[in-house]
Parts: sequence; structure tokens; C-alpha cells
Amino acid sequence: MPDAIVDGIKERIGVAIKVNQSVGIQVPENRHNDLLEAIFNSMCSNTSSFWTFVTINNTYDYLNKNFKEVVNQPNITFIDCVSRAAGIGRPQGDCIYIESPTMLEKVQLEIMHSFTKIKDDTERFVVIDSLSSLMIYNEPEIIREFVSLLMNRTRAENIHIISILVEEELDANKLIQLNDKIVVLRDSFIE
Amino acid sequence: MTKPELCSTGIEELDFHLAGGIPLGSTVLVTGCSGSGKTTLCMQYLFSGARKGERGVFFTITEPLFKLTKNLEGFGFYDKKLIESGMVNIIDLRIISERLGLDAEKYTVEDAGALLDILKDIADELNVKRLVMDSITALCYRLQTREMIRDFIFKLGTSLAVMNCTTLLTSEVPPQTYKFSQYEIEEFISDGIFFLGDVDRRGDLIRTLQIVKMRGTSHTRSKFAMSIATDRGIELVPLLKSTGIETILSR
Repeated sequence: MPDAIVDGIKERIGVAIKVNQSVGIQVPENRHNDLLEAIFNSMCSNTSSFWTFVTINNTYDYLNKNFKEVVNQPNITFIDCVSRAAGIGRPQGDCIYIESPTMLEKVQLEIMHSFTKIKDDTERFVVIDSLSSLMIYNEPEIIREFVSLLMNRTRAENIHIISILVEEELDANKLIQLNDKIVVLRDSFIE
Repeated sequence: MTKPELCSTGIEELDFHLAGGIPLGSTVLVTGCSGSGKTTLCMQYLFSGARKGERGVFFTITEPLFKLTKNLEGFGFYDKKLIESGMVNIIDLRIISERLGLDAEKYTVEDAGALLDILKDIADELNVKRLVMDSITALCYRLQTREMIRDFIFKLGTSLAVMNCTTLLTSEVPPQTYKFSQYEIEEFISDGIFFLGDVDRRGDLIRTLQIVKMRGTSHTRSKFAMSIATDRGIELVPLLKSTGIETILSR
């Protein structure tokens, strides 16, 4: 993907998250990796901020191999919800492994815990990749409750949330509506 | 009404939902099936108390001492020095039974009475503020009749009431049931009940904790998801209530 488009996505997300506590990003399947590249790029270039990246879509091992720049960054914590459920996952220092993507309460605990040692005046972000993957393992109602509680909790601590939604499913659309702002990425342009 | 003095459980969220902690001198039944986290909760309670200078004793009748301490070693709350300094005492009741010349498998009323006296003496001598018995079910199992069990439990209640300590009694119940004890008497001598259960979510078991009762506090009765992490011990977070297709075990 041309750098100009990655930069375009970065800028769009950057503006949206600055003025909104939570941003939902709707992305077509074939643009998902480009979106990750843009997000990882932001995470690495903005080292004074702190990021927790919750991966349900890919294993940490996969991210490790394909997005080398984010590995071992002191301002990034990974929470991997799929490796252990899939029977993969060698424990790695900067990643927290959750037993199963159904254990949403544990995910919430680990998200909040990842910020405990971070000063309040630091910009803090949670990225959930993705709501669509969570739907494979959970009922839509429980994800809705999870996201809603998480948003209330993070809002109280002034932590921003970016949640990714791959493709446009009706049920998933309801989930993304919980966000303050929705950014829709298309194949050929950014809405 | 004067506010009772409170004993912190060592679990921040649990203390919060108990409006500060367990009223001092209470007897609390920690009930749940095997693997629900009863022993870990009790150990966290003892070690956190010891850190504040409150001596504690853990009476075990189910697990040998070496196994208990080995299981504890991975936890962040565990501190070997607190055991070595006598701030946390772990005592195997089967060894005491042997020394008293009691039949380890079957107790008479007199045997049970003698054992209770020893427990009380130990608690007095060590001047413990926190006491745990793991488990009351296994202890009662050694008594032959329901009447003997009932008498023993009431005597235990009377003994604990005069001891100057806050007590946790663990109680084993079968999985997928919502009852607090094996003999259905244990709850009557208890001032509080923590019910540890499971929720089955698509085949994964989520541990839960619910404060069913706690005399003297205005506590919540909501159900919480309970996490046991080696570094941080037990933590609670609100349980997601949307049921979907999940089935609720142990209520």
C-alpha cells in the first residue's frame, strides 16, 4: 500500500481520537493489514503515549513476524486472546496471553492492569482488533456489554479506545455504534 | 449504629464490595467446588494480614503441608519469611490427630471435642487474629452420624465466637449446585458466606464470587468474575450478565 494512503489513515484516526474518547474503525477485510500498519506506525512514532493492543484477529506470533517494528517497544503492551485457545503461543515477555476469547472479564482486567504503572498525564490508548473476531467466540449481546463497560471504565480514567470492525455485518454494526466516532475505510478511499 | 471494626480480605475489590472488609471476629464460610479458588483466597487473606502485623493460622486437613506450600510459591502474595517468622502458621490437623492418638479416619464426639480444644489453645497461644480451617467438610466427614456433625459444628461455632480472631471456614460442595455446605448446617454458624462458582461460557469456565451474606455490613450481592493470576493473586471484576447461550452452573 502506498505510504500516502497509510499516512492518510493515520491522520484520519489521529484527528478522530484526539477529539473523541472512543473511535470505531470499519474496514474491509482486504484493507485490514494496511490499517494495522497505520496504527502500528502511530504507536511507534508516538513513544510518549502508552498503548495496549488487544489482538483477537491474529496471534501475537503473527504480528511479531509481520510487523517487526512494534515488537519490544516499551510503550506498547500486547494482549493475545487467541494463541492459547488455538494451542499455540510460546510465552513472550511483552505479551499477555488470555486463555480464551470468551474470557472477556479477564481481558478487561488485563487491559486496566496494563495501565496501572502509567502516569495519568500520559496519553493512553487501547486498540481492540477486532470486534468482528470477538463475535466468532461470543454472542453479540455479551460483546456489547463488554465494550460498554470497558468504555465506561476507560472513560473514567481518560483512556482512549480504538475498536476495529472488519467488514460490515449487521450485528457488528450495532457494536460499533457504541463509539463516539466511526471512521469508515473503503477499498479506494476514506469516508 | 456504630460501624464495626473491619478486617481487610487482602483482595481490594472484595473489600470494596464489603464496604471495607469483614467485621472483626466474624466467621465466614468460603464455599465452592473443587478448583474454585477457596484455598487461594484464604491464603491471600492470611498473607495480607501478616503483612499488616496480624498473625494467622491455617489448619489443613485435606492437603499435606509440602504440597500446600509448593502450590503457594508461585503467587505474588506468598512470602516465605512470613512463614519462617511465625506470622503465618500452617498446621496439618492430621498430624495433631495422630499426636492425640486419634483414629485419623473416624472421630468420636470426644475426639472432635479434644481437637477443638487443641485448635483453640493453638489460636490463643499464637495470639492469632486470622484463622482458616480448610476444610470444615473434610473434618465433618470423619464424624460418623449427622447428629455428631451437627453437634460438632455448633460447638465449633461457639468456640470460634469467643476467640479473638476473624475466621474463614472452607466448605466443599459438588459442582453445578447452589448450596453452601455439604451438611447444610455450616451456614448457620457463619456470619458471612462467600460463594465461589463457575459460569460456563461456550465450554470455558469463568470463576465467579458472590457475597451471599455478611452480617454487619451493607455489601453488594452481585456476582463477580474472579481471576487467579500468579503475580497478583485473586482479583474481581463485574461479571458480564448477558447470557446468550451460556449456561450458568453453580448458579
